[in-house]
Amino acid sequence: MNTFIGRHPVWSLVIVIAIAILLFLIFAVWPPELEQVLGRKRIFLSALLNGITLGGLYFLVASGFTLIFGLMRNVNLAHGSLYLFGGYFGYEIASWTGSWVFALVATFVVVAILGIVLQFTIFRWMEGQDLRQTLVTIAISLILADLMLWRWGGDFYQVPMPTWLGGPVEVPLVTAVRSSGELVYLQYPLVRLVILLGAIVIGILMWLALNRTKVGMLVRAGVDDRDMLSATGVRVQLIFLTVFAFGAGLAGFTGVVGGTFQSLQQGEDIKILLASLVVVIVGGMGSIPGAAVGALLIGLADQFGTVYMPTYAVVLTFVIMVVVLAVRPQGLLRGR
Amino acid sequence: MAALSVAERLSAVGTANALELRGVTRLFGALAALTDVTLTVRPGERRAVLGSNGAGKTTLFNCITGDFPSTSGTIRFFGEDVTHFPPHERIRRGLRRTYQISALFTGLSVIDNVYLACRGVSRGRFSLIRPSRNDALMNSAENLVQAVHLTAVKDQLVAELSHGQQRQLEIALALAGAPRFILFDEPAAGLSPTERAELIVILTSLPPHIGYIVIEHDMDVALRVVESVTMMHNGRIFKEGRPEEIESDPEVQELYLGGGHG
Amino acid sequence: MAMVEAARTDATRPEGWSLAATFQAHPALWLLAAFMLVLPAFASNFVLIEIFGWAMILGMIALSLMFLAGYGGMVSLVQMTVAGCAGYMVAIFGTSVMTDISLGWPWWVGVPLAIVIAVIFGTLSGVLSVRTEGIYTIMITLAIASAFYYFTLQNYTIFNGFSGFNAVRTPVAFGVDWRSPVPFYYLILFWAVLAYLVVVYVSRTPFGLALQGTRDNARRMAALGFNVTAHRVAAYAFAALIAAIAGVLLVWHGGQISPGTAGVGPVIDILIIAVVGGMSRPIGAFIGAIIYVILRTFALDALVAVGLDGKRFQLLIGLGFLLIVLFSPDGILGLWARWRARQRNNDRRA
Repeated sequence: MNTFIGRHPVWSLVIVIAIAILLFLIFAVWPPELEQVLGRKRIFLSALLNGITLGGLYFLVASGFTLIFGLMRNVNLAHGSLYLFGGYFGYEIASWTGSWVFALVATFVVVAILGIVLQFTIFRWMEGQDLRQTLVTIAISLILADLMLWRWGGDFYQVPMPTWLGGPVEVPLVTAVRSSGELVYLQYPLVRLVILLGAIVIGILMWLALNRTKVGMLVRAGVDDRDMLSATGVRVQLIFLTVFAFGAGLAGFTGVVGGTFQSLQQGEDIKILLASLVVVIVGGMGSIPGAAVGALLIGLADQFGTVYMPTYAVVLTFVIMVVVLAVRPQGLLRGR
Repeated sequence: MAALSVAERLSAVGTANALELRGVTRLFGALAALTDVTLTVRPGERRAVLGSNGAGKTTLFNCITGDFPSTSGTIRFFGEDVTHFPPHERIRRGLRRTYQISALFTGLSVIDNVYLACRGVSRGRFSLIRPSRNDALMNSAENLVQAVHLTAVKDQLVAELSHGQQRQLEIALALAGAPRFILFDEPAAGLSPTERAELIVILTSLPPHIGYIVIEHDMDVALRVVESVTMMHNGRIFKEGRPEEIESDPEVQELYLGGGHG
Repeated sequence: MAMVEAARTDATRPEGWSLAATFQAHPALWLLAAFMLVLPAFASNFVLIEIFGWAMILGMIALSLMFLAGYGGMVSLVQMTVAGCAGYMVAIFGTSVMTDISLGWPWWVGVPLAIVIAVIFGTLSGVLSVRTEGIYTIMITLAIASAFYYFTLQNYTIFNGFSGFNAVRTPVAFGVDWRSPVPFYYLILFWAVLAYLVVVYVSRTPFGLALQGTRDNARRMAALGFNVTAHRVAAYAFAALIAAIAGVLLVWHGGQISPGTAGVGPVIDILIIAVVGGMSRPIGAFIGAIIYVILRTFALDALVAVGLDGKRFQLLIGLGFLLIVLFSPDGILGLWARWRARQRNNDRRA
């Protein structure tokens, strides 16, 4: 970080000032003049937290996508289908067993197995043929999308949430001050906070796995230089299987999560795939921290856009992507 | 940039050195591939850069052509500061190079490859008109193909050529247009003795105003075609001198020439 | 990109290209040309416009993708979007049912303007895509294509959102109603053939050869004096021109344009058409297109006949595409080339 500050003093100052303003907006009580310009603080805080939690969701999906690309150079355009399939599957399991947690675990396992099957029967034979692999993923996403449409139709589905996750909690952020001087705190759905916490925990676990375990270091080495990986004599295909299985399982798992606080329906696979694309373009391909930063940015842009510029919310997201592509095409956090 | 005639180029050169590197360093993360390289080559000079694998020879070439930008230092080509120029700007000023592993256009024919090389340093790169029968550039390309003895296979796809033929094509690409200075990266790699002899003839019969640097492991080839030698070791210039001096230098012998050819 | 077999240009005729020579080398072309020219005499309007006309329009868009992918090594998914953009501009500048948005300008102002805007859009998309490694091109262009989709979906002031534009009329010019079946067929045929011939011609010009050079070895091209980025962007502009013209024909064909016209589905369909046909020669784009259109038209009946739900068309497409990518990644052209090679071997042995 010191090198960053040293090399980009102006940007560092801008970032510090931006963070200071942000902290002020979050923690201070807004004077009426500010509320007149920006609207109610409660709305701002909701958008902020919605953006962060949506960012958590995007991070979970995008990190699997970026890992698979980073290591195996496979642009897995079926990633959205795995998400949606996981969501539908989790819905069935949760409705059948009544256990949300069990649905999460079962979905992860099942979609991971699907990932193993795909990698073992198809992608294994196409190493080095990046375009061909991508085309196969497109074919798979078409097939999966139609099969899912056949089975579940065009309705909305929501994964039933356990009661202990329901309802709002009070978050220690002040939204307003009553005339009596009493402070009003923000009420926010517990489930979203839990999911955010889960995303952070999973993110940390992934970081630890990549940086502190032997397998993780092999994966990171492989991301940087694939030829070097085969030179180490390690069973490369086994590592590929593991990473694809994990990425797929994570996508399916996230489908259940998304289906809980959002909903599932036909077309969601494409939406989440596109969100993942934008997140990794912005954050940098093959970089987990990049996926985190990108997801946070896109989640916030999405929610703030929806609240403050409803007609052009989507445009804001893509404008960010275009700016990053124009200024730093390799992504924010990627070297080179 | 229009292709200037040789005479115009020579008169423009004046007394500038062909190549001047000052303090060129190239870092790959923490690895220093080149450290503080300072080098001067006169126009028309023929030099060899020798050293073991990993000494930084190809990295040196990459920095000179701009394939990789240098981390620090300056590079001047015929008096012009080209340190921040992209590769194509340096090439248009008369620099050429060959690659250790032939970098050819495998989906195109031999004549197409050479034609592109000729086109690259002249006008009309975006032309949407097919070359006519008497097109000057096409004639240059065919002459060049003849010069490297590839006329018999000129319409064949590069992918179908033998290794030796590909290396000859690699050289042809570097001779296109009006080169002022050429970088040859291991031109003799993988050549048979006959092909090696041909290579020596091609190199030594280049017009005297064209200078070049040769990276080579094959001492026989290298020392026969140059008048000066630069030795590199661990990314630094280790010694410079005439071929005979280098050959008989005890330090060099200890490092490189003792057990046979690197 | 080893899978996309490099589009080959005919290396045996470097001194120029002659229409007569091409016909001499491929006699089947005579039959094809004759067939296409006299088709209106015996085919129904449906076959003319909904089968062949539609196939040629899609073929043109796939051709623009093939140009970038086969000659340039850049698989761009934004070509359909460029066509959609041109179509939207025609609707906006010309007449449609949305009288509060459509400007009602004459076609000889609106159409060229629409094409110019679409080409600018395509070129800018190229600028964003070419500075990254080839593998990202698919991702970036897909993201741009969906950005366009979502924007047209949500913007009502210019693009009229979800409904888009209906009743977009093909002009009546020089006494001809260009949307009546026979003239419209010949109009499409003219532009499709022209696009095809231009692409074949350009492939052996300095511009086309340079593009192929950047596909085979971009680094070497730079070391020969070429500005690789500039060439790639220029290629996008050229491809956008073809796609834009197809886009004008597209909106006239359907008489309407909406976000779904250039949605993710159609964008992927164009890729499938190009891959299935084969990206090694320009004709592949049209081969893929006619297969797609025939499948699309008759799949419903075929599926029902086999006992499946007629709605499972996408599943059919997906499976077919998967089979092609697994067993003949260079598409139908690849199958044909291998069949011909085997024939030649058999002849030699006999």
